[in-house]
Amino acid sequence: MARVGVFVCFCGANIAGVIDVPAVVQEAKKIKEVKISIEYKYLCSDPGQQIIREAIVQNRLTSVVVAACSPRMHEKTFRKALLDAGMNPYLLEIANIREHSSWVHQKDKKAATEKASDLIRMAVAKSIANEQLHEISVPVTKRALVIGGGIAGIQAALDIADARIPVTLVEKSPSIGGRMAQLDETFPTLDCSQCILTPKMVDVASHPYIELIPYSEVIELQGYVGNYKAKIKKKASYVDFSSCTGCGACTQKCPVKVPNEFNMNIDKRKAIYTPFPQAVPNKPVIDAEHCTMLLKGKCGICAKVCEKGSINFKMVDEVIEREIGAVVIATGYDLWDPKPYEEYGVGRYKDIITSLEFERMVSASGPTNGVPVRPSDGKVPKNVVFIKCIGSRDEAKGIEYCSKICCMYTAKHAILLHHKVPDSHAYIFYMDIRAAGKGYEEFVKRAQVETAATYLRGRVSKIYKKGDKLMVRGEDAQIGQVVEVEADLVVLATAVIAPKDNPALARLLGVSYDKYGYISEAHPKLRPVETAKAGIFLAGCTQAPKDIPDTVAQASACAAKVCGLFAGDTMKKDPMISTINNEFCSGCLNCIKVCPYQAIVTEEIPLGHGSKEIRTVAKINEGVCQGCGSCVAICRSMAISLAGFTDPQIINEIVAI
Amino acid sequence: MDYSKKIQEIASKLFADNKINYFVGYKQNSFDDSQVPFLITDPAEIPKLVFTDRSVFNLANYLKPDHTKRKRVGLVVKGCDSRALNLMLTESQVKRENIYIIGICCEGVLNEKGEKAQNCVECVMPDPVVYDEMIGSPTGKREYTINADIRELATKALEERADYFESIFENCIRCNACRHSCPLCYCAKCCIDQETSTLYHGANTSSGAMHALMTWSLHLAGRCVDCRNCEKACPSHLPLHLLHKQNESVIYENFQQHLAGMEKDDRGAFYKYSLSDPDDFIL
Repeated sequence: MARVGVFVCFCGANIAGVIDVPAVVQEAKKIKEVKISIEYKYLCSDPGQQIIREAIVQNRLTSVVVAACSPRMHEKTFRKALLDAGMNPYLLEIANIREHSSWVHQKDKKAATEKASDLIRMAVAKSIANEQLHEISVPVTKRALVIGGGIAGIQAALDIADARIPVTLVEKSPSIGGRMAQLDETFPTLDCSQCILTPKMVDVASHPYIELIPYSEVIELQGYVGNYKAKIKKKASYVDFSSCTGCGACTQKCPVKVPNEFNMNIDKRKAIYTPFPQAVPNKPVIDAEHCTMLLKGKCGICAKVCEKGSINFKMVDEVIEREIGAVVIATGYDLWDPKPYEEYGVGRYKDIITSLEFERMVSASGPTNGVPVRPSDGKVPKNVVFIKCIGSRDEAKGIEYCSKICCMYTAKHAILLHHKVPDSHAYIFYMDIRAAGKGYEEFVKRAQVETAATYLRGRVSKIYKKGDKLMVRGEDAQIGQVVEVEADLVVLATAVIAPKDNPALARLLGVSYDKYGYISEAHPKLRPVETAKAGIFLAGCTQAPKDIPDTVAQASACAAKVCGLFAGDTMKKDPMISTINNEFCSGCLNCIKVCPYQAIVTEEIPLGHGSKEIRTVAKINEGVCQGCGSCVAICRSMAISLAGFTDPQIINEIVAI
Repeated sequence: MDYSKKIQEIASKLFADNKINYFVGYKQNSFDDSQVPFLITDPAEIPKLVFTDRSVFNLANYLKPDHTKRKRVGLVVKGCDSRALNLMLTESQVKRENIYIIGICCEGVLNEKGEKAQNCVECVMPDPVVYDEMIGSPTGKREYTINADIRELATKALEERADYFESIFENCIRCNACRHSCPLCYCAKCCIDQETSTLYHGANTSSGAMHALMTWSLHLAGRCVDCRNCEKACPSHLPLHLLHKQNESVIYENFQQHLAGMEKDDRGAFYKYSLSDPDDFIL
């Protein structure tokens, strides 16, 4: 005979403000199997849990129903309380009377109370059919895969490796460093980006626990938390990295010139190239799209000048496999293409550039040796207009969100401009100044006061050419007048967007992404570095626009999560997973098709008892199954059941309504 | 349409070459001009094989039992039968290398009254979609039309329709002949029969019949090929095709004009997902 205890929580006024809790408690007492039904202000508190623990022992309860908030919130808390009272934790059922009743039916208190009673009745009925379940333990492969070698990936890899956990760092381009390597100086302290980044890059290359795989991509991920198998495609670099010394003779002699994407196409690089002088690894790769030897079979100068004979034109893409336990996604960001701003003359006027182009120009190692110049005539500009929110906060042309970093880097650009061209003047058109962060507001003040940048609050409506100048017409909302600024150079603070490959990568990894293409976190507040898929974490701008301090902090948080995951030799796993009764399985294998986790495999069993003939049936891989229930729904022969949600439990629930 | 001679020739050759252990075809009934399925292991019985417009049954059904499942079988299929066979192959019920398929380009078969059967009039695919050898000349895929009975039912009021189906379910004797005659009802143990099942009850009442038949039709939704083996097997002469044709028309409309078993590796409308699926019905 089932003996059920019902515990109803007030949740302060969250539940009790709408639902008549004492009435619900009385109603629950009428259910035959309910031996005790009590209420408490905050069941999740320690005295609240104590009440449950005592009631379990005193009343010899066989299952427990807690009517409170969503199980996502406190299911674990109450399971723990059951365990402490010597009861199997899976004999707990939660009736969610907060999110499912009091919050959504605030205007109809009577109906909300009735619904709460219904929910409790259902939970009681379900709990009667609950079975004792036991956590599954699965082995862990202690190696992390970090995807992306920007500052986020570098930091995460270093922190994980420092805990003596092997890391495989996969970078798409020939060198690690990412966007941060392109920056000149960083806000709010104006320390040189390269100077703080390159030591970390070198650390990555020399760290005994880091395996750096540049110029490659992850093409497949199978398995489950603690036991993933990744396939990594190493793109053909046509240079044997093991013998190449990075002397640079090949890049010097290469006759093919192509736009240099590292310098935002302002200058040219060769077809065999290292992206930038401080690249790690400092080995060149051949750009197969432009190399005439690879395209037409003519040239081959690089091979002739290479003393080590490292050039191999016959190299092909190679796929390697790694067994890993956790993944950190750190794919960074792209910049929005401002083409839709036709009224600004984007594309028509050469002297309208983007912020990152400006950044490369003011960089001491950049294409113009640190002096900003006008792309049209090469002259040093005097009046520079910076326009913020290009694409950001623009539902009509761009995206809805704020790119977060543009206010700060534009202030930085104004200061840098002042440093490089002391007699210049910066005009900044802005919508709002968002400078929340340590030392950020002070930094903007510095741009306004020290460099005397003119901040104009308003949108620019039009840019047109007058002689060799650009006339920027906009509104100064603070004086309510149209202003026109004669500019030598216009810099657009284009929006930060998700890398265009993010959705494909997310599908490949089996994690969710939002409408902009950013990878979604498991919970925006309480689980910001985890994805919904166990063992996959995210760092930096792959989640949302972030500045360097936030990115580094999140990368270190990822490392902490990975280290936590790898703390033991085995991992505990929720037992609420599917099981297949292979007697009933007809082997149609539809379940394999619908399983989103590749958790189902085939198994060959004897046709009958002692039979030599075999038949093929489906089998669940316990470690992989996440308990989503798709296979249960698709199985026509009802051979699959989901622990914790078995047919008797669900039928009981339905009958109880 | 009389391909008896040709089928006899092929069957003889298959037995002579030791390609098959069994041959499944049709033979003439002894008491009228109807035919019955005919399973032979002895080449001496080959002359009894026939195929005419009276060869109504879906022989793919005879690949279900254990004794034929793992043997090499030669069988005769019409367009609709071949679609069912296609699904059986996709759902791993039959091994392709174990069967030798003689596909007939069907000109339609006759019903008990001697008229062309309704499913043949409305047939979308008279040619075999999977075969080793084809007999007749293919005429190609035809346009899908909504079943005449379904169109007529749609004009009736909801209560009237409910009453009509109630009368159907009342006459069901729960003999499960429909299930046994369906080539796609191959489960090791039907969900309706499972002792541990809490979902279904086995009572021989109209509600029990409704439960069983509705479940059955949903398990065949997007898979039924309209061969009407079930209807031919039903001793109560229930118009079982109504359940399937209703599902079929809804699926055709909402699942990108999906028709069951037309393509290799197509598991049916409910079992596939692509990124381009319309999702306008999802809130």
